[in-house]
Amino acid sequence: MSVALVYLLLLKATVTSFAGMGSLPQIRQDFVDTYHLVSADALSEAVLVGRATPGPMGAYVVAVGYLAIGWPGAVAGWLALITPAFAALPLLATVQRWLHVPRVRALVDAVVVAGAALLIPSGILLAVDAVRQLLRLR
Amino acid sequence: MTPSIRQLAWLIARDVNRTVGGGNASMELLRRSFEARGWADAQTHGLFVAVSRLTPGTNILAYCAAAGWRLQRWRGAAAAVAAASIPGALIVFGLAATLVRLDRYPAIQIALSLGMFVAGMLVLSSAFNLVKPYVRAGRWPFVATIAMLAGALYLVGWTPVRILLVSAVAGSLLPPKTSAPAAPAPKGTEVTRA
Repeated sequence: MSVALVYLLLLKATVTSFAGMGSLPQIRQDFVDTYHLVSADALSEAVLVGRATPGPMGAYVVAVGYLAIGWPGAVAGWLALITPAFAALPLLATVQRWLHVPRVRALVDAVVVAGAALLIPSGILLAVDAVRQLLRLR
Repeated sequence: MTPSIRQLAWLIARDVNRTVGGGNASMELLRRSFEARGWADAQTHGLFVAVSRLTPGTNILAYCAAAGWRLQRWRGAAAAVAAASIPGALIVFGLAATLVRLDRYPAIQIALSLGMFVAGMLVLSSAFNLVKPYVRAGRWPFVATIAMLAGALYLVGWTPVRILLVSAVAGSLLPPKTSAPAAPAPKGTEVTRA
């Protein structure tokens, strides 16, 4: 398995997801089911490492790449992690160019407000999970 | 005020790589740091958040790319993404290479749980801070309409991206009285023409 193919498989997963762990189903399908590059247990290990590590949760793809083909895979994973982020630049430039149009301003504002509303359940779930874990450890 | 590349990279590396549980808490830390230094105001932060939500991949990296580009163009974007991703990626690589099971140790489990709880609180604080400028500007009907729409779609199981897209369309279609900004465009988001 070449580094380029590992990069492309990981990129396919990261570029078609909209959150750090959103790429997991695609990675499971490609790396575990189709190409048998990592075992299901190894993938769980990678996810655990990603969750427990400070920084972007999507960084678990680095571990997936490493477990698949060694350190070149880790580099491919890092590249697949950061590549989609640069799509934000043309999006930001476009939004800024049209921000003086009231409808566009309202559209951006709506995304901000809806994004804030979506944060509430994820914040509550994170805190509840943490409390449950602490109670289990007592 | 515009930071140097080194200042920007250091701040982003520090704020992004000291939270567990996802990028939302990191975004809140970055908002506080940017505002304290006068690098971005609350509404510019809101713009970065909106763009990051609509960008594929990891949200916090898209946020950092947008913030870096806004402050230092291409060099800023590249430095910001590198600073946000390299420390965490190195730790993940190191742990994967040694196959250390972090959750084996109770002390680590407790520290991670406390970290997750703090991250949860930061996420809730982030939600409040994102809508605060709109509420202060008297746009609470707009906020209430969009928030209720997003909440209802979330409860029926829609994916976040679909919810954001529908909310964006709804926001642009709301009557001007509800959706029109009560304040002038925030500093840094005004239109510049070449």
